[in-house]
Amino acid sequence: MLHENPMRETNWRRWNVAITGMNASPESPGPGFAVARSIREHRHFQGRIIGLGYDVLDAGLYSKTVCNGGYLVPYPSAGRDALLERIYQVHALEGLDAIIPCLDAELQNFIGIQSELNNLGIKMLIPTREQFTLRAKDHLSEFCRSIGVDAPETKTITNPLFFDECEAQGWQYPLMVKGIFYDATVARNSHEAKAIFAKLVHSWGYPVLVQKIIPGDEYDLAAIGDGHCRMLGAVMMRKRGLTEKGKAWAGVTVVDEAIGKVAEKIIRGLAWRGPLEVEVMKGYDGKIYLIEINPRFPAWIYLSHAVGRNLPAALLQTLANEPELDLSPPKPGTFFIRHAQELIVELDEFESLYVNGGISTPIQETHHTGLNDNEKFRAAS
Amino acid sequence: MTMAAAELLKELSKDDRLSRIAVSDTGFIFDPQTGQSFTLNKTGLVTLSHLKKGSSIDETADQLARQYGVTEEVALNSVEAFLLQLGRYL
Repeated sequence: MLHENPMRETNWRRWNVAITGMNASPESPGPGFAVARSIREHRHFQGRIIGLGYDVLDAGLYSKTVCNGGYLVPYPSAGRDALLERIYQVHALEGLDAIIPCLDAELQNFIGIQSELNNLGIKMLIPTREQFTLRAKDHLSEFCRSIGVDAPETKTITNPLFFDECEAQGWQYPLMVKGIFYDATVARNSHEAKAIFAKLVHSWGYPVLVQKIIPGDEYDLAAIGDGHCRMLGAVMMRKRGLTEKGKAWAGVTVVDEAIGKVAEKIIRGLAWRGPLEVEVMKGYDGKIYLIEINPRFPAWIYLSHAVGRNLPAALLQTLANEPELDLSPPKPGTFFIRHAQELIVELDEFESLYVNGGISTPIQETHHTGLNDNEKFRAAS
Repeated sequence: MTMAAAELLKELSKDDRLSRIAVSDTGFIFDPQTGQSFTLNKTGLVTLSHLKKGSSIDETADQLARQYGVTEEVALNSVEAFLLQLGRYL
């Protein structure tokens, strides 16, 4: 019962957009909810937003102000076929026009099903498998050398004994120890480093990365690559407050031409297609060091909406081949401060997601499929 | 005038860096390139306003000497000290 929809909606303002990464734990929120909120608050958007989550406690799925509905999807480890089957089910109910994947770990699967989704008329602006691999943490140093961008020395390790011998090899503590997909923690000695190593392997598997720390200030840039070497609508932010994990809980927009040029080099070097976050360290030596390239919007992306450069909406406009993106000039000096808030969930809402894998919330209804509320989840489950 | 202060002013004036700094009447300063914010007292605010307009160190010292009734030497020392301190923030 695939939703064939021969009359695909061409106006992005009325699209049904599915967004992943709706988890919102206070320490490390997924970017999906911020992406959804940015699109929902865009002055021209009148479509539906469907949250895709991995857990019944992914808070964004229950938001009554942002999402029209939410569905559980299989964990990335279940593979591309399981994801495709679930997307088919969601599409049959919702008639999706676009999907915005927001988590690193799921992107390989979405890349793997892109042609099938394309055949259904579901658009995605995501990188190719090659682009995705080139910017991965374990290939970053090599990539930086190839485009002439400075990066801190990074080593891939699989044996924690490295941490006992590293100082003799020129790797002085403190060091940054990073998981292959997520998490980065500062280790001040070998004891701490080995504990972090074990935790990262448990969460994300091998290998683990070790990076020398650059003294300086951290800046992040979010943008979209159009797949033809062009950077669309950069927004830069300096972290002003950090959580224990080094995540930004406060930041302020800045405009720094030198950081913009580094990001342009990266997008050109990769011919990047899709959203990305570039994390750089502006060293006290005056150089800009690339720390990480994240293949998705960051969790602070709502700041882009706040400065009139709504990048999630710009992504939809790009997918719709709009000739001009709706972006204001860069605006420095706008702050965000993240705060946690309790979302109230009624038992029947929790039940609907828990038992049927889907939930519907009664906000703005546009070109709906006609099925009513949580009935359709029962039909689909 | 010391070379260090003159060099610093030249560096800060490059690419309109100094003129792009946002200054409020309250003395609140925001650097749009680094995201740093800090506050200035009234004298610092007057000094920065002159420098932002493109006045040299001598011209700024001259203005301050007249405005606050101090000798040019005192004013010059103050402007140079201010610039060196500003350089640590920007």
